[in-house]
Amino acid sequence: MSRISQAFADGKAFIPFITCGDPDLETTASCVRAMVAAGADLVELGIPFSDPTAEGPVIQEANERALAAGTTTDKVFDLVRDLRKDVQVPMVFMTYANVVFSYGAERFIATCEEIGIDGLILPDVPFEEREEFAPLCAAHGLDLVSMIAPTSENRIASIAREASGFIYVVSSLGVTGVRSEITTDIPSLVRVIRENTDVPCAVGFGISTPEQAAKMAAASDGAIVGSAIVKLVAQHGRDAAPAVGAYVRDMAADAHNA
Amino acid sequence: MTRMKFCGISRSEDVAAVNELHPDYIGFVFWPKSKRFVAPARARSLKAQLAQGITAVGVFVDAPVREVAALLNESVIDIAQLHGNEDDAYIQELRQALSAPDAKSIVKAYVVKGPADIEAARQTSADMPLLDAGLGGGSAFDWTLIQEFDRPYMLAGGLEAGNVAEALSRTGATCVDTSSGIETDGVKDATKMCAFATAVRTWDEANRTTHTTNTKKELNMTNPRGRFGVHGGQYMPETLMNAVIELEEAYDRFKDDPEFKRELATLFDEYAGRPSKLYFAERTTRDLGGAKIYLKREDLNHTGAHKINNVLGQALLAKKMGKTRLIAETGAGQHGVATATAAALMDMECVVFMGKVDCERQALNVYKMRLLGAEVVPVTTGTATLKDAVSAAMREWTSRIADTHYCLGSVMGPHPFPTIVRDFQAVISAEIRDQMLEREGKLPDAVLACVGGGSNAIGSFYHFINEPSVQLIGCEAAGRGIDTFETAATIATGRLGIFHGMKSYFCQDEYGQIAPVYSISAGLDYPGIGPEHAWLHDIGRATYVPVTDEEAVQAFEYLSRLEGIIPAIESAHALAYALKLAPTMRPDQSIVVTLSGRGDKDCVSVARYRGEELSE
Repeated sequence: MSRISQAFADGKAFIPFITCGDPDLETTASCVRAMVAAGADLVELGIPFSDPTAEGPVIQEANERALAAGTTTDKVFDLVRDLRKDVQVPMVFMTYANVVFSYGAERFIATCEEIGIDGLILPDVPFEEREEFAPLCAAHGLDLVSMIAPTSENRIASIAREASGFIYVVSSLGVTGVRSEITTDIPSLVRVIRENTDVPCAVGFGISTPEQAAKMAAASDGAIVGSAIVKLVAQHGRDAAPAVGAYVRDMAADAHNA
Repeated sequence: MTRMKFCGISRSEDVAAVNELHPDYIGFVFWPKSKRFVAPARARSLKAQLAQGITAVGVFVDAPVREVAALLNESVIDIAQLHGNEDDAYIQELRQALSAPDAKSIVKAYVVKGPADIEAARQTSADMPLLDAGLGGGSAFDWTLIQEFDRPYMLAGGLEAGNVAEALSRTGATCVDTSSGIETDGVKDATKMCAFATAVRTWDEANRTTHTTNTKKELNMTNPRGRFGVHGGQYMPETLMNAVIELEEAYDRFKDDPEFKRELATLFDEYAGRPSKLYFAERTTRDLGGAKIYLKREDLNHTGAHKINNVLGQALLAKKMGKTRLIAETGAGQHGVATATAAALMDMECVVFMGKVDCERQALNVYKMRLLGAEVVPVTTGTATLKDAVSAAMREWTSRIADTHYCLGSVMGPHPFPTIVRDFQAVISAEIRDQMLEREGKLPDAVLACVGGGSNAIGSFYHFINEPSVQLIGCEAAGRGIDTFETAATIATGRLGIFHGMKSYFCQDEYGQIAPVYSISAGLDYPGIGPEHAWLHDIGRATYVPVTDEEAVQAFEYLSRLEGIIPAIESAHALAYALKLAPTMRPDQSIVVTLSGRGDKDCVSVARYRGEELSE
């Protein structure tokens, strides 16, 4: 069993996201440890990219701050090496195709394996372009996480059948960011996925309250929260870890009980 | 496809150059007596910089088996090329020392002086023989000796851009190896590498119709979704995938539909004012004293630029698809104005995203768009220029798809946009062709156009791509120069990447962060180039040259004074290169320069460049 599937083995998973290097890598490290202590089952680490086209303003600005602070792919790798000294939960990278491609996809993915990264989420690599990265991920024991959106419709079956690790269910149209309500019929979406695969699915985009986390986790296998956490980091800066930990504790509790 | 090996790579600059050109193999020379020697540690570091898909070969001369095996086992190299007196026993010993012998190959080189060498090469137990004229001496041997050679081999010795096509024709080799042929004064020369790759790929285009090798690249060919060579593709969020697929299906349905074609032709003719004139610039021609200069007057189209061609096509298509709302990005504002115009004409809602910096330098176009009923959204993220406007438009599209068509303005983005936009812009070269045949009785010798994303350039090139006598030259914005950071010349300074839905060349840093680019021209101020241009560059069919702000401004002023035509600052980049090129050509030759737009919008910024502030 891969480390990612372990995250879903004991019930619903709570998956927080954080942009690495915002405002600096030391803060990221303390926030990740706080999130894990607060009950995170899997952590998504964002490697900043200059032009994150799937992100809303909150994560865009976090990317800009992280890059301005001198964050690079190599420094994020070092962060993970440090985290892996004590962090046991699965960790995946969320970044954009060019960050991986320009580093040399094989070199990037081999390094992920070496430092203990369990999967890769590339929002600008759809099913059609998967072949470029999926065999390399498979060769190095990483799961290339597939995304399914409210607009996927006739594509859901094909995507689900090729999925590994977990499926990232995009809750709503648009980019990442806090939403007051999620109108997509998630249970129906998940039903179609389940008809095609046993790979667990977690819902993300727009989740910020414990009620939303519980609702989304109830309808699937887990909830992913990004912008709300990144917003806390923006507010608290280098002292963000306690606030992030407290927030994740509430969110994770509700998701776990869903 | 002929495979290529660039041997004797020893510097990071060399690796950067091969990463651009993507030969199948590169060689590290581990023979200490060679002037191209690299130590294993150096090779390790160079290998780490090497693009995926390029195989590293180690060249050895009678090296101890364990040294060769160590480099293979460590995957610093995947092929060992043996150049000394290594015999079959050595090869066997080497194979036994490998941890994964099936994943590695052994090449044995033979210096061909006569039939006995050929026979030895034929019988070697190595995976492939290499037939060589000597140890990097660089002289070409007698190719007739190997015409009948009946196993796959690598051909080396004295090969360079100037003779490789002949070598391929005469020997039928499927793999060619060069080292001194891509050097100047003993140092690898990126220009010569490019020339060599181009010569091989051009020969392939003309001579190889089927693929004879089974490489990784070929596997991609079975899935040609919007690919131009390695470029193009559909690197889009899942949320938009059904939208681009729906667009592709609609385009396939309507592009040959007689009713659609008739409607578009009528719009081109009666609304946009096509065909646009081909004007013989007589005073310019006389002043330059060389080739005849013709100007393709896209600046005379309605809305003052070539952008209207694409927009009318896409708006009509969107209407047929039942969309009621157009969104668009714009740089200089020409595409935004064209989109707002089409939206007004076709009674559609319109939102245009424009970098805040561009809104300021092109205030007149912002006013025009609003006058036409469009909403203009200033984009403040990133560099607040064209790339950020594209990102903002893509983000908007993910949030509202059902009623909205993203009217992308250039030959870029995910498939099918590069193809759709090219097809709508191809009217430019179709007209140039007819007009030149009518005026000169022959095709032009060169066609020049400016390149940002590259829509007017591909439109100007398209119907000449299969006419090898017509030189195709794209002029990139070099800004303050390609040796500065203030440039937008993608072919000159970028490298292969994935961004805005496509694989192509992009200006980026070592970690793949997209670079903030600069040009005086808001329309060329983009860090990428359309995938078809990247491919035309790879195969050497089109040439891309950098033109600085200063050269473009001079051309802007020159044409205004000499012909009474104020060109867009974008188009002035193409004109600037024509001013250099024409005097080197004969009077019986001709150059067509596409004037993609008119320059009214640029008067304020050019005046400012010259130190003058204009106000109403």
